Amino acid sequence: MSDHHDHDHDHGHKPAPMVDEVSHFEILEMAVRELAIEKGLFTAEDHRTWVEYVHTLGPTPAARLVAKAWLDPEYKKLCEADGVEASKAVGVNWVTSPPTQFGTPSDYCNLRVLVDTPTVKHVVVCSLCSCYPRPILGQSPEWYRTPNYRRRLVRWPRQVLTEFGLQLPSEVTIRVADSNQKTRYIVMPGRPEGTEGWTEDQLTEIVTRDCLIGVAVPKPGITTNVKLPVRKAIHPVHHDH
Amino acid sequence: MSKPHYDREHHAKIASGIGDPQCFRGKAGEAKFKEGERVRIRDLPDIFYTRTMLYTRGAVGTVTKLVYESPAAEDEAFGNEDHPEWFYSVVFMQKDLWPEYSDTYANDTLETEFPERYLERA
Repeated sequence: MSDHHDHDHDHGHKPAPMVDEVSHFEILEMAVRELAIEKGLFTAEDHRTWVEYVHTLGPTPAARLVAKAWLDPEYKKLCEADGVEASKAVGVNWVTSPPTQFGTPSDYCNLRVLVDTPTVKHVVVCSLCSCYPRPILGQSPEWYRTPNYRRRLVRWPRQVLTEFGLQLPSEVTIRVADSNQKTRYIVMPGRPEGTEGWTEDQLTEIVTRDCLIGVAVPKPGITTNVKLPVRKAIHPVHHDH
Repeated sequence: MSKPHYDREHHAKIASGIGDPQCFRGKAGEAKFKEGERVRIRDLPDIFYTRTMLYTRGAVGTVTKLVYESPAAEDEAFGNEDHPEWFYSVVFMQKDLWPEYSDTYANDTLETEFPERYLERA
C-alpha cells in the first residue's frame, strides 16, 4: 500500500490494533462473551455497565484501610477478624457495591487482611490464574497475571521480591498467600518509621498498590509503584496498514 | 441434581444481597478438622477442573483457620452446589513443598486453602 492515503473512498482499512499482542485467552473471552450475549445470558448493556464499574475501581480504599488501622488499634482488630466488614469503613461493600448485587463474579465476598509483623512479611499471588481483591484494589497489574510471577513467587519468593527491589533479612520470614479458592487477600504492612504524627490522608498516600500486594513496603516519600521493564511481545500483531 | 438444569440465574438468586460464600453458611455440617491440626493434602483424581495445586498434593501442613463453607470448586465448576463443605486455610513450611528451598530461609511459609475432601489427618 502506498504512503499516500486517499480518504475520500472506503479502502477497507482495519483499525490499528490497540495492543501489541492479543492472547489466546483474550480471544477466548471475546468469543465466550459474544456467545453469552447471543444466548441471552446477559446483554451487551449489562456487559458495558460491568466494564464501566470495574474501571472506577482502584487501590485507594485498601490504602485507606491500612492507614486507618495504623491509627486505630480497634479497627486493626476488625480488619484481621473480618475484612469484608472492615471494608465498609472505607466505602467498599463487597456484597452490594458491584452491579451484580452478589459480589464480583470470581472475586467473591471474602477478604482477608494479612497483617505483617516485624518478623513476618506477607506477599500475595494467585498461582492458578489472577484472583485479586478487585472491589478494594481495582484491576491487577499486568505482571501479577503473568505465568512468570505466578509460578515463581510460590517457589522462589525471595528472589522475586528482590527483583521488585525488596530484600528482606533472613530473620524476617516470608509467608506467601496463594489465593486459590474464595478468599481474596490484601497485605497490611507495618507502619514505617518517620511517619510519626502523620494524618490518615498522609499515611494513605504511601500505601501503594505494590505494598498491598506485598511486593513492596511503604516508605515516607514513596507514593508510586515499582516500574517493571516492559517486555516486547513475542508474537506481535502484524498490522498491514 | 435438585435444580432444573436450565436455571441459569440459580446462583444469582441464592447469593444476591448475601454474597458468595456467605450464601452457603451453615450448610456444610460439622467440620472434620480444627485449627492447629496437622493435615496431609490428598492427591485426589480430578476430572477437567481443580483448584488444588499439584505442588501441595502429598504435603503436610497445619490448619490455621476454618474459612467458610462452599461447594468445592471441582463441583461448582459444573453447577453442582448440592454438597457444600468446609474450607480450610493451611500453612506449609516452604521446605516441605520445595525440598531444594534454601536452609538459610528455613522458616519461610506458604498459606493456601482447601475444601475438606482434600484433607486427611497427618
